[in-house]
This record gives sequence, C-alpha cells and structure tokens, in this order.
Amino acid sequence: MSKDLHFDEILSKYRSDPYDYVDIFATQTGVVEFQVEKGSAVDAPGGEWGHIPGTALYQITRERNPKMIGAPINGIVSEIRADLEGSFVESGERLMTIRHPLKKKEIIENILKEVLYLFPAPEKAKYFFAMDIQSRIDKKGVREVIVKPGDEILTMSLMKRDTPVIYAGEEGVIHSVYFKPGVSVEQGEPLIGVCSMDKVPLIQKVITRVKAEWDNM
Amino acid sequence: MTNRLNVQGLRNYITEREIPLRKRDYAGLDVEIIFRKGGFIGSNIECFSELDRTMHYGRSVINQFERLGDSVVSGSVIIAERLSGSKGRFTRSWYAPSGGLWGSIIYVNTLLPASKLLIPLALGVSCCEALHEWGAAEAEVRWINDVLFHEQKLAGFLLESHRGVESTEEYILIGFGINLNNTTFPSELKKIAVSLSEIIGDTIERDDFALCFLAKLAFNFGLICHEEDYYLVHQQYQGVGGTHLLVNRWRELSQSIGRDVVFGFDVVTRPQYRAKVMGIAEDGGLMMQLEDGSTTIEYSGEIRYL
Repeated sequence: MSKDLHFDEILSKYRSDPYDYVDIFATQTGVVEFQVEKGSAVDAPGGEWGHIPGTALYQITRERNPKMIGAPINGIVSEIRADLEGSFVESGERLMTIRHPLKKKEIIENILKEVLYLFPAPEKAKYFFAMDIQSRIDKKGVREVIVKPGDEILTMSLMKRDTPVIYAGEEGVIHSVYFKPGVSVEQGEPLIGVCSMDKVPLIQKVITRVKAEWDNM
Repeated sequence: MTNRLNVQGLRNYITEREIPLRKRDYAGLDVEIIFRKGGFIGSNIECFSELDRTMHYGRSVINQFERLGDSVVSGSVIIAERLSGSKGRFTRSWYAPSGGLWGSIIYVNTLLPASKLLIPLALGVSCCEALHEWGAAEAEVRWINDVLFHEQKLAGFLLESHRGVESTEEYILIGFGINLNNTTFPSELKKIAVSLSEIIGDTIERDDFALCFLAKLAFNFGLICHEEDYYLVHQQYQGVGGTHLLVNRWRELSQSIGRDVVFGFDVVTRPQYRAKVMGIAEDGGLMMQLEDGSTTIEYSGEIRYL
C-alpha cells in the first residue's frame, strides 16, 4: 500500500470519467446470442435479496442447454462483440463492456480498494465471520478488529459444507467488509479490506478528501 | 464395539444385503462397479464409548497423518456411543446421549467441484433409505439433507472441509447424528426432534443400523463417482433425459418440492424470504419461486416448511 496517493490525479480521473467499465465474459463454452446492443441500458439484479436477475445480456447454449446471463451491474452497454453473434465461444471470452455510472460511495470504495489489502473469496459461496471474529466485531465494532496471517477469519458455506477461511494477507484492522451474510460472493471478489493500524489515518484522509472534493464538483 | 460394526462386517453386509437390493432397484446399472467406486466408505472403522465430538477426533487424525507425511485413509468412520460436546450448525445445540448413532467420516476429496456439491445430498438420501428399511417409511429429506419424520428431525449432518497444511489435500469431514434409541430430548428440542425407536415402537440395534446406513452411503457415494465418470464421457448423466441418478433419488425421497417455505442462510435466527420450492437442479441447487413471481436458485442456506 502506497502512502503517496496522488489525490489530485485520482480525483481528476474520476471527475473526467466518473464510470466503471465492467467487462462481461462468457461464463462457459457455447453458442452465444446477444440480447442487447451497443447503447442499451441495463439494470443490475434487484429485489430485496438480489434475487431478480439483471437485464438479460446474452444467452449461451451448450449441448442444447440454453442459459440466460443477466447484467451484474447497471449502466449502458458501451461496447459489444457483435461479430461473435451466433458463434461458438470459449469460456472466459470477453463479450461486451458495461459503462457503470459511479456514485460517491463507490468512488470512495474504489480508491480504498487501491490502498487496502483485499482478501479475495476463494470460491463462489456464501461467507460469514468466524465465531471468534464475529464476537469481537459485536463487542468492539469491525474497525477495531485486527487480523493477522493464520487467523481463521471466515467460514465459507456451500451446500451446507462449511470451510474455514484462513487469512493470508498483511496484519491489520478490518476496514471494509464487502460481503453480506446470506448473499453469494463470486470467486475472486474481495471479502474484506484490511489496512495496518499505522495507515488508518491515511484511509480517513482519503475518505474526507473525496467527500469534500466530490461535493464541490 | 460389537463384532459386526467393523470393516469386514460392512463388506459382508454390502455383499449379502445391499448389492442384491440395488440390483433389483437399478436393473440397468452395473451395481458392483458402483459399489467399487464408493467402496472407500468404511475403509477403517473406529468405535468409542465417548468422545467430545467425532469431528474433533477426525481432525486430530488428519493432523496426525499430516505431521507424519502419511496419507489419511479416505472413508474412515469414527463412531461414539455418546458425545460430550456435540453441536449443530451455527450456534445450535445437538444432544447426543447414548442410544443414537453419532459419528464422522473422513473423506479425502477426489471429486470435481460439480460432483462435490452433491455429497450433502448423498447423506440425506442414504439416511432416508436406511430409515425406510427400518420401518420409518414416511421419513423424508428436506433440502439439503435434514431428515424428518412428520416434520420432526430424525437426523442431521454437518460437513466441514479444510486443506492439509503439508499435503494440501482437501479433507471433508462428514458428521452424522441419527436419533435411534435416544428418546429424551432437552426442552428446546422436544417438539422438533424424534427418534426411530419412538416411530417404530421398538429398540434399534445400533450397529446393525450403522451397517445399513454405511452400506447405502457407499452406494450413493459410488453413484456420484459413477455419474462423474459418465458425464465426462457422454456430457450428460445416466438418468432418464440425462438427469443425475442421485439427484433423481433425492427427488423421490423429498417432499420439499411444491412446498411453501421460508428460506434463510441461517433460517432460525435470520429468515430471509418466503418462496415455493419448484425443484432441485442437477447440481443440487434449490429452485424457488418467490412471492413476487421471480425465481432463484440457492446453493447455501436452509428452508423450513410453512
């Protein structure tokens, strides 16, 4: 984590282009049929539990088994690989890009993700804090809980199989929690953001600065 | 420990009882091959009069093998007459006095991720099949693998997995608790738990029931392995219309489908939403329709019938 954050540069970047560009990849091999075109507005999954799928982006068919894939985030389809329409694609092929308008809170989180140590989800599953960590969070609040390598910090739950998740990042305080109990997290997505105690003031500075700068825009 | 509940006793049981039964029910399948694939279940059987938790003991066995650089015997079964520190999922209590079948199985995973998802189903199916054979014909499995009799809990399972520090093998510890002759429950469990002896009005020979359960588990684990092999060759499962044989069996034994339920990751303390169960996917996911008409598939969590 760098102490030399170039605030002006970062903020200028977000001012001139306050969007995230989210690439959408083929989830599996199969024949792809697009359901949107360049410029289409798409919605993120909705409903109280995120159970209503996002706008259908493409259908992918393998072995006569069609699967509709929805948008993971809201925005505008800014680029689409129209040349792939009706073609067989490999899993992981980039199919389109969604331009997602960022809110202030998302910009703060994006900047923090550049300075925090992000501990990723080892598998697509649901996660909850280990009982010891949860009781410390309940007593002191999440930003007072320090984790160090080797600590059992989370439990990963998939089909009633619970797997302890051992922390393997730098020692520090849990600053951000990116998962909600009961909501699935994709493999590789961050679960928690950790920063060392001596860098907490820097994090606060980021938040204060972004809030102030953004309000003045 | 009696003479029956041991490795040879289980092999004899499978040969004499379970293989003929399965040949009758699965006429188109090579049942012996399937049993060979699931034959690691009960490769080693240890019985104790009392343990804290069989899961703890299983973990200590794994750690011991890891330290020595030896391979853990996959399918090892640990059974205790009673448990002094048993617990359910989350912070729930599980009462394990003498009379029940309490134990764990150590499984060293060799399955692909899609097949691994189905291990919990194999437990519920095997237990339900054993209970039917012992007279509880109305026992059913509620997603994922709670075994109920008239909506009272007869059996429950825990699965915990971790990687070996030295070997990096993936170990799955499978805990099982089946209420057989234990007929008194603490007040908080009285209304929601029941034992097999209460249902059939007779005493259960624990070791005989254990052999029956383990034999069925060997078959159902074998089915998972068999279907994985079949899928890799044919790109579909061997059941009717390409469906998974174990998942089909689960469907036969469950009354979850079509029921109105409340769903939650921890449904007791944090119920999340109401829905109707529409079915179970080939990968074991629970397909539900919510009150607003939208549909979802869940892979973690639990349901309670409304």
